[in-house]
Amino acid sequence: MRTTRLMLGLGLAIASGAARADGDAARGEKRFDECAACHSVERGVNNVGPSLSGVFTRKAGELPDFRYSPAMKRSGIAWSAETLDSFVGDPQKLVPANRMPYAGMADASARADLIAYLREATK
Amino acid sequence: MATKLKEVDAVIVGLGWTGGILAKELTEAGLKVVALERGAMRSPANDYSLPNIRDELRYVVRHDLMQNTARDTITVRNEPKQEALPMRRLGSFLPGEVVGGSAVHWSGHTWRWTDMEFKVRSMYEERYGKAFIPDDMTIQDWGITYAELEPYYDKFEYTAAISGKAGNLRGEIQPGGNPFEAPRARDYPLPPLTPILASQMFNEAARNNGYHPFPRPSANASRAYTNPDGSKFGACQYCGYCQRFGCEANAKGSPHLTVIPIAMRNPNFELRTHSWVTKVLKDSDGKRVTGVTYTNVLNGEEFEQPAGMVLLCAYAINNVHLMLLSGIGEPYDPVAQKGVVGKNYCYQTGAGATLFFQGRRFNPFMNAGGSNDTIDDFNINWNFDRGPLGFVGGYNVAGGFNTVLPIGYRPVPRGTADWGKEWKAATAKWYQTAMNISASGSVMANRYNYYDLDPTYRNAFGQPLMRMTFDYKANEHKMGQHAAKVVNDIAKSMNPTHLNSATARTDPWTVVPYQSTHNTGGTIMGTNPRASAVNKYLQSWDCHNLFVVGANVFPHNASYNPTGPVGALAYWTADAIKNRYVKNPGPLVPA
Repeated sequence: MRTTRLMLGLGLAIASGAARADGDAARGEKRFDECAACHSVERGVNNVGPSLSGVFTRKAGELPDFRYSPAMKRSGIAWSAETLDSFVGDPQKLVPANRMPYAGMADASARADLIAYLREATK
Repeated sequence: MATKLKEVDAVIVGLGWTGGILAKELTEAGLKVVALERGAMRSPANDYSLPNIRDELRYVVRHDLMQNTARDTITVRNEPKQEALPMRRLGSFLPGEVVGGSAVHWSGHTWRWTDMEFKVRSMYEERYGKAFIPDDMTIQDWGITYAELEPYYDKFEYTAAISGKAGNLRGEIQPGGNPFEAPRARDYPLPPLTPILASQMFNEAARNNGYHPFPRPSANASRAYTNPDGSKFGACQYCGYCQRFGCEANAKGSPHLTVIPIAMRNPNFELRTHSWVTKVLKDSDGKRVTGVTYTNVLNGEEFEQPAGMVLLCAYAINNVHLMLLSGIGEPYDPVAQKGVVGKNYCYQTGAGATLFFQGRRFNPFMNAGGSNDTIDDFNINWNFDRGPLGFVGGYNVAGGFNTVLPIGYRPVPRGTADWGKEWKAATAKWYQTAMNISASGSVMANRYNYYDLDPTYRNAFGQPLMRMTFDYKANEHKMGQHAAKVVNDIAKSMNPTHLNSATARTDPWTVVPYQSTHNTGGTIMGTNPRASAVNKYLQSWDCHNLFVVGANVFPHNASYNPTGPVGALAYWTADAIKNRYVKNPGPLVPA
């Protein structure tokens, strides 16, 4: 059941053209304003949301010192440009019942910019 | 025996908006500051996060973020001839008890009170004559002007991420804003919140009736925002859990997201939680305060914290209580009309209608704390002639939603059974179809509305409880009738399927149900020590190194929510302390 839901989510992301590779990191830094109220890109700094440091090398729900929702922990997602694009686009669609209070970033090019920024900033 | 601690430059009692602002400003000015907060440390990450925060039982019914009445409460009565009884459960108002204070669980409505409040007596007397103000209405000018406060309103609005639309920019009326507001130097930091169906319908109806609706200014960030101090806000998610809850999206302007963390990063600052201040100490000649005594409520240990300055920043009622318990200033006597501490306690009044529209879906579970449109035509509009109506003050009227909770909010047409099958069917039928229009009215000071110490009941520390004597007077009754008619006329013009009409309040005030956490007065500000407890810088007339900050300094209560001037006055006081008092300690205004 869980696997099915996850695959559906990924399927939709791929069907909608997946993540765009042409993001602009400088513009993405502005986009990150929407995330920065809860997320830091610094290592070990958990706020309302977990630190995003190293997110591209992590699986969802992996940080030992952050209290994730059960939905996020069992989602089994490996974070990548594609999965982040899908998640940020519609968080509740990819991981139903996760507890991030964010409605989603609808604009695909804005997401591409954000992900370009995250790729640099979370290294 | 209390342990005597090392002296600091300033001790702050209570760490909400006012304490937080003063803590940040004074530590940045180099002062060593200790804040004593009776509540616990709570953080957005650990406490105000999903899914735990959306818990009506914990936060609404059990008042998790609010004052524990088993430890300390107030006694209440309507008139001096009655015996006051303790309020054993919170109801009508909800003082916070946590780092961040009531500003954790507020809705965010942020207004600029104008000279219509600050010069209330002189404006009414000039226009209507001295006899217009009843003998027992003890209103007075505040000793401060809108022009003096304007930069401080601005500072507070930019700190707290207020979303709104300017109505008057430097004297130019702006379409879509509040045309009656006093001129502002610049617009709000954030555009208004996205309107909801109920606020749009009210807006249209108000315009059709010839009124001037505008989106309510509110500390719910309409988009992501970084304030001038670098504090980050998320965008409001319209989750519906605003009032009585900490914000899960970091979108509500609150001191625990802004000024308090900045103070806490400053080595000049120390916060002690679970610290209940029992008394402000005076020196032998009573001209200065020397510190406070407090009890650690976790283990009962008592301390004395000496300080060069004491800043009372607790909830408005508790600031006044501490003044009375400490014997600072002459207690107010309503019979002799002497004394000032306890004088001019005020509250608010209102009238509301519920409109049912069969076939409409309002999605009442989706809104921000400030999701409503408002009219000020009967409030700060001086062209609204009170003369023939015979009342002082005014009311605003609003349509929309604020935290109508999925379980607790159950609108049904009047006359429906209160329980059982019929009620269940009605609540299912009408839940989605209802919206509210409500008026919120001012309360003018009255000789017989006041605080003093209760002769009978005591708190957990053996101290007399605060006694509140309060009721609405003829002035409020007249205004209520006018407000109910305006609300009903707008409502009827919208042609609802069913209308629970508004009725003017005539019953005495009681501690239930919830009304508003807008208790004002008790240590009022003014121009001379015979008629006020503090001067225009909120400095005690009796002890110049004591400042009493909060809505307790308001000489009367307006229709508006109080937090705008509470925040502005805290910044104003901080400036007076930093720029003048510290350099030359003594009275900032000659008595």
